[in-house]
Amino acid sequence: MSRNERLNKSDLAKVYRRQFLIRAGLNFERQQCVGFTAALTPLIDKYYTDKEEKRQVMLRHMNLFLSQPMVASLPIGVALAMEERIALENDIDPEAVNSVKTALMGPLAALGDSLINGTLRPLVAGIAITMAQQNNILGPILFLIVMSFTTLFVRYIGIYKGYEKGVEVVEDIHKSGLIEKLTDIASIAAYVIVGGFIPGVVSMVLNISFTTGDNVLSIQEQLDGLMPGLLPVILTLVMYNLISKRKVSTIALMFGLMILGIVGVYLGIF
Amino acid sequence: MNNFVTALLVGLWVTWAIIDEQTLQLQTTRPIITGPVVGLICGDLQTGLIVGATVELMFLATIFVGTAVPPDPTLSSAIATALAIYSGRGVDIAVATALPVALIGQVVTTLQYSVVNVAFLHLADRKAENGDTKGLVRTAWYPLIVNLIFYGLPTFLAVYYGAQYVTNIIDAIPEKIITGLAVGGGMIGSVGFALLLTTIKSKNLWPFFLVGLISATYLKINNIGIGLIAVMCVALYLEITKKRGAK
Repeated sequence: MSRNERLNKSDLAKVYRRQFLIRAGLNFERQQCVGFTAALTPLIDKYYTDKEEKRQVMLRHMNLFLSQPMVASLPIGVALAMEERIALENDIDPEAVNSVKTALMGPLAALGDSLINGTLRPLVAGIAITMAQQNNILGPILFLIVMSFTTLFVRYIGIYKGYEKGVEVVEDIHKSGLIEKLTDIASIAAYVIVGGFIPGVVSMVLNISFTTGDNVLSIQEQLDGLMPGLLPVILTLVMYNLISKRKVSTIALMFGLMILGIVGVYLGIF
Repeated sequence: MNNFVTALLVGLWVTWAIIDEQTLQLQTTRPIITGPVVGLICGDLQTGLIVGATVELMFLATIFVGTAVPPDPTLSSAIATALAIYSGRGVDIAVATALPVALIGQVVTTLQYSVVNVAFLHLADRKAENGDTKGLVRTAWYPLIVNLIFYGLPTFLAVYYGAQYVTNIIDAIPEKIITGLAVGGGMIGSVGFALLLTTIKSKNLWPFFLVGLISATYLKINNIGIGLIAVMCVALYLEITKKRGAK
């Protein structure tokens, strides 16, 4: 009977495939809990045949879970190792699984959001845009390849490393200062990219000029002489201030800028 | 290809892209992919590429932070690309339509997560109560099918009917408003970057912002070069902190 064996290759492969459902049922009540539980079903079906036992395992994973979907694979892998231990040895308190999940999901979410969604994707997209603007179809293709590899690979590492290391992952992450180091790396890369992309991505050009005698003095040319892309940078910093200090919603800001654009064109500023 | 088939294919592509976002995350939702694909479907790859790149710029740094749903880039770039091609007016029309459509998409997404998926959650709760693993996995799939109605159908309707009336509607709008919307579209990329700046954790590393800025402005280095500079800065940082730790 397979009930006394550890998870085999094909069980792990099944979990790897099912964890892609993590975000499928995303909801504002308990977020990604349906996907999380769905990812563990190969294990539940392997070790438990009794409805009541299955019910208990499933219900404890129906608590709130929210992380960045790709790095969520790591807590899934860890939960898998812990649940396997519970099923085979029963020497861990089942409630500990939830504490471990909760301990991992926050720091990992911050990391996944800043490293993948906030840094890698804008970076690769920025490169793809430059190529696309020169009518080069390889830009989007490059973007698709890099991002596809990222999502498939990160999730692979998460499930298999998480399962292999189990609860140790929590200690490893907190002891080695890994989170702090990765946070710094993400911050550096994000700063360089934001600073480097603003002048090309945000466009704000003034259309005002003064005539002094025979000379036409264009304000935009003067600003460009000072620093090209100065206005987009100032605009971004103003938006940053409004979001972080005044808590203005990003939607209100986007609408505001569209209206500013129309008003500006009517007044002849842009 | 006739309008009906084209609109149908665009609707199916958007449905697929949203499903991708909720499962595999190959990032086919992004305008840089959806733009060219819709361009290809509508028979004008070149406009699709340019519109995709332009709308990607608008939403480049607008990310899903916590539970705040960002404007939807997929509906927006698909419909904007189709209308840009059908109206024959290109990027300006795309930029003018992209933001309003993205906001409609955002409302749809919020509705999906706060109402529809909550209903599916409660269905999943019942499956868990019954110890029904197969039922639970099935329930995880249902929200994906809903995307056909929530995203696919509106896209189909917008492209099918939009294609017939877009020229008339656009001719009725004063030229200055379209120009103004395009100007505004050029500026809204700043909101995404500002949002990204707020998510950066190690604020003491801000001088790296200047590294990027100076490279792009005074040195005129393009995006690919900026990427390499970011890699270089990270590598140097790792090397320097490693040496310090070893002392």
